[in-house]
Amino acid sequence: MTTIIEAKALSKRYGSLVALDQVSFNIQSGRIVGLIGRNGAGKTTALKAILGLTSHAGSVSVFGLDPSRERNALMKDVCFIADTAVLPRWLRVDNAIDYVEGVHPRFQRARAQEFLSHTDIRQHSRIGELSKGMVTQLHLALILAIDARLLVLDEPTIGLDLVYRRQFYDTLLNDYFDQERTILLTTHQVEEVENLLTDVLFVDRGHIVLDSSVEAIAERYVQVNVAADKLEAARALHPFYERQIFGRPTMLFENQPPAALSGLGELRTPGIADLFVAKMQTEAA
Amino acid sequence: MKLLQIQIRREFWEHRALWVAPVAVAATLLLLIAVFGHHTQLAQVQFDADKVPPVFVILLFGWAMVLYLTAAILISIYLLDCLYSERRDRSILFWKSLPVSDTRTVLIKFLVGFVIVPLGTFLLAALTGALAAGILSLRGAFTLHHELPLWNTLEWLRVEGFMLYGLIAALLWYAPYATYLMLASAWARRWPSAWAIIPPVLLAIFEYMILGTHYISRLARRSLGDLSHLAFRTSVEGAQNLGDAASQPAASGASHMMNQSIDPSGLLASPQLWLGLAAAALMLVLTIRLRRYRDDS
Repeated sequence: MTTIIEAKALSKRYGSLVALDQVSFNIQSGRIVGLIGRNGAGKTTALKAILGLTSHAGSVSVFGLDPSRERNALMKDVCFIADTAVLPRWLRVDNAIDYVEGVHPRFQRARAQEFLSHTDIRQHSRIGELSKGMVTQLHLALILAIDARLLVLDEPTIGLDLVYRRQFYDTLLNDYFDQERTILLTTHQVEEVENLLTDVLFVDRGHIVLDSSVEAIAERYVQVNVAADKLEAARALHPFYERQIFGRPTMLFENQPPAALSGLGELRTPGIADLFVAKMQTEAA
Repeated sequence: MKLLQIQIRREFWEHRALWVAPVAVAATLLLLIAVFGHHTQLAQVQFDADKVPPVFVILLFGWAMVLYLTAAILISIYLLDCLYSERRDRSILFWKSLPVSDTRTVLIKFLVGFVIVPLGTFLLAALTGALAAGILSLRGAFTLHHELPLWNTLEWLRVEGFMLYGLIAALLWYAPYATYLMLASAWARRWPSAWAIIPPVLLAIFEYMILGTHYISRLARRSLGDLSHLAFRTSVEGAQNLGDAASQPAASGASHMMNQSIDPSGLLASPQLWLGLAAAALMLVLTIRLRRYRDDS
């Protein structure tokens, strides 16, 4: 595993709004990393810095290249889908394939067509005639047919129905991902991707509040459904988050040995969505 | 080469009117001539042999002017829209996800609007103008029993040579206008046409109100009259002579006289031309930088 993205003290302001504040992180190859945060947390700004689409303070390096100065070279190795529905409405499906084939040295036409053959998209349709879900399928077909080392997805499934969203992520895992490739995606619909991710970066108001692999989360965090008579004992161990589920208290602990918690109730590893909500509410408090 | 070709095709996919409209105008005119040609004066007058060339030259000119005017309108719309529409529909995020530099993208758009469409229109005008003369001749021969075809190959070549020179001179002369439209297109958050028109007009008005001078309007106004003075010898006389030549038997041919008036050295020696080209280059650089660094998508 090698480090492919290295961000150091990344900062970005939009007027008085601080979108990113001295953010540093590394991303390794062969991982699926979720950049997770609420709306306006700074996720898209971080991706734009990685893709060389915005000016910023601090440094970013992707595959050893400076995205601002070496964008063209970088775009041969990096693909991205920024939001959905950015394919131009006037473009025809076959022309879109022709164009990407013409400009991208690593595009495999047969692969895109094979992918499209499993959809209802017709070659001569204009993109404006396709449903939103079909536009995303087309975009995915174009991107997956490029043999790129890093795929960056910014809220790729926003506005899609459940079936398209599920298909999108299934395709990503089955047809694209392997040990050589890396996926970096942002979403605020954490439940959708939590079984997919190998690493998470939680972003809140321009700061990274958690940077961890999913395995490390299991070692570091424990969720306890506390038995009614153990409430005080559990609180004495300083849970960082507590909420009631069906009247039963659920607490999250960080860096507490399971042995210390085992008598308090039912233990489990918190889901990424639960951990995210807990972290956001703790940060806000 | 393949890359260049696909990028040019992409521009015509988006702005289909760039080729459809001139072809449609030419086809409509040809159809009108084919159907109603015998009603025109050209078809009804029985020419003398020495009057064929000037009439033929005027036909070719008028024909070309209609197509050039069509193209000029289309090119202006294209240049104003080419860097704005991709931001309006956010497709810029798709284009930027592919390994094509901003410099290349902007230069391709300039090439299409400034070279390919004008030269394409020139070829279209030259060929369909000849076709129109052919149709008129055939109509004259079949329905009115004219003996002389409205055709003279030497005149045709001369007229087209003259027009190609005029086109290149006009392109060089108006290059800053073209790049200014592109700059407005890359700059505007909305209403690029307002951005293209209002700032220079306001600046000129302020200049006049505050300083009482006209430098800005003089700098911005690149009149056709100035161009013809620079690129042609005594163009006013030339035009009059051309009119005379059309009405009189012209031994040397109207087009010959026009070709005599061509004066590239006058144009190339003009500081106005070079200042304009320098401004055009500067605006292209600014346009490229705007597309590269603008972050409002």
